[in-house]
Amino acid sequence: MKPSIKGIAINTFRESARNKMFYLLVFFGILFALSSKLVSFLTLGDAMKVLKDTGLAAINFFCVLIAIFTGINLVYKEIEKKTVFNILSKPVSRDEFIIGKFLGLALTMLTALGAMAVIFFAFIALSGGGFDPGIALYFFMLFLELLIIVALSLLFSSFTTPILSFIFTVSLYLIGQIMWTYNEFRAFITVPLWRKFTQVLYYLLPNLSKFNIKNDVVMGVAFQPWTILFSVLYALAYVLALLALTILIFRRREFQ
Amino acid sequence: MIRGRWLALAALSGLLLASGMQGRYDSTVNYFGDRNAFVSLPSGKTLRVLSFGYRNLAADLLFIWSIQFYSTYNITNRFDFLERIYNAITDITPNYREPYLIGSLIMVLEANDVPMALRLLEKGSRQNPGEWIFDNDAGYYCYKYLKDYPRAERYYNQAAAKPGAPDFLKRMKAHLVYMSDDPQTAYRMWLDLYRNASSVLEKDSARNHLYQIKAENDLPQLQAKVEEFRQRFRRYPASLAELAAAGFIRAVPSDFYGNEYLYDPLLGKVTARRTFRWKKH
Repeated sequence: MKPSIKGIAINTFRESARNKMFYLLVFFGILFALSSKLVSFLTLGDAMKVLKDTGLAAINFFCVLIAIFTGINLVYKEIEKKTVFNILSKPVSRDEFIIGKFLGLALTMLTALGAMAVIFFAFIALSGGGFDPGIALYFFMLFLELLIIVALSLLFSSFTTPILSFIFTVSLYLIGQIMWTYNEFRAFITVPLWRKFTQVLYYLLPNLSKFNIKNDVVMGVAFQPWTILFSVLYALAYVLALLALTILIFRRREFQ
Repeated sequence: MIRGRWLALAALSGLLLASGMQGRYDSTVNYFGDRNAFVSLPSGKTLRVLSFGYRNLAADLLFIWSIQFYSTYNITNRFDFLERIYNAITDITPNYREPYLIGSLIMVLEANDVPMALRLLEKGSRQNPGEWIFDNDAGYYCYKYLKDYPRAERYYNQAAAKPGAPDFLKRMKAHLVYMSDDPQTAYRMWLDLYRNASSVLEKDSARNHLYQIKAENDLPQLQAKVEEFRQRFRRYPASLAELAAAGFIRAVPSDFYGNEYLYDPLLGKVTARRTFRWKKH
């Protein structure tokens, strides 16, 4: 890795890790994951299932929030505070700047998710459950989903304000979660032009539902290795596309 | 500028006033009286979409809420939504076992609606073809509450055919054949279970059933022979051995445990030593 990219990545990670919002969200993520025990007391039957459902949902939700909040601010803040001039006046290209920012954010997400995952596994063990490799697989898939979210927020952050970036990223996240419905609804689209249009949208928009395997993991559903492999390749390809787009936009951006 | 003490006084007065108003508000609301609940619940498919990837959590929360809702006895119309609520939960997560089991329990014990419970359990069985528990519960409700033994037997048949089904399902099936008044088939089934029993419990259960079926078969025949004897000799036989000696029966039959049946020569009544009153519940 080029030292300039590495430097930006490490600095981005440090900057994110110093952010109070980051700690607050990690804290609440852990707190809500642990409070799943309280929810499990209220159910009848399989309390461990409810404990896992609630805990994984809390981790998922707060990791997505961390990804969005850290992603939408980073580039914008550099531009607003004009620190981007300092960085780009050094032998660092705009491409390296974006790649470094992305890698730094990815490292931040890995740290946050890793901390939550370790605590959650310990919590499950203390609650009488065993190690579930399916949950480990889910955390891996969640990390891939977070990479896409981070890349999305970085893309929007490169050309618009944090509020708009937040709205765009959250909208795409929500759309991405219900992309599976397209396969159920497309039979009802009879107009050929609309059918084509929705099909293009289906392939263009981020399909995040494939990474959301927490529901199946808890129910003990078996996964096909090919499904997982294609999901991994999809995430890598999509992140690559988003980064390329971000770089393209950032290259044309004029700073005042 | 307003002094600090006035601000503190204003805050205190405001809180006191708010507490007073809350008290007055409470006096107008009957929290524990009968009340109607209006439940506006989207369909399970809609909720699945609206949960945005958190469908297990949505189903858990709805299920936990339903437990609380159906434990609130002063909501008079709570059963109006029972099937819709549990259909919604099971549409969101078709593989979640508890809502089928607890939902059907509420339908049977609280709402007294066994057909509704059977519909929910049949849905569970359809959605989870490898699970025997739904057919088992459906069979039990048919047996216990509807007294529809052939239907219960069908459910137990389905349950017993599923992988990992426990042995007691075979016993239940044989019991239901007995309850359906098919003693010959029931005897064959119980004899098979008796010969292949893997536990004391299973063997005892089979032996008791075989005893009862044999007694129900033998006693009316013996009683008829005693009556024939009385008509011919104008008295009851002194013992079952006399009945055999007079040629009315080939030999004195014994029950499944190997003991002779009890005989009262004064009343001419033949009875079994033990009676299992399974058909009288």
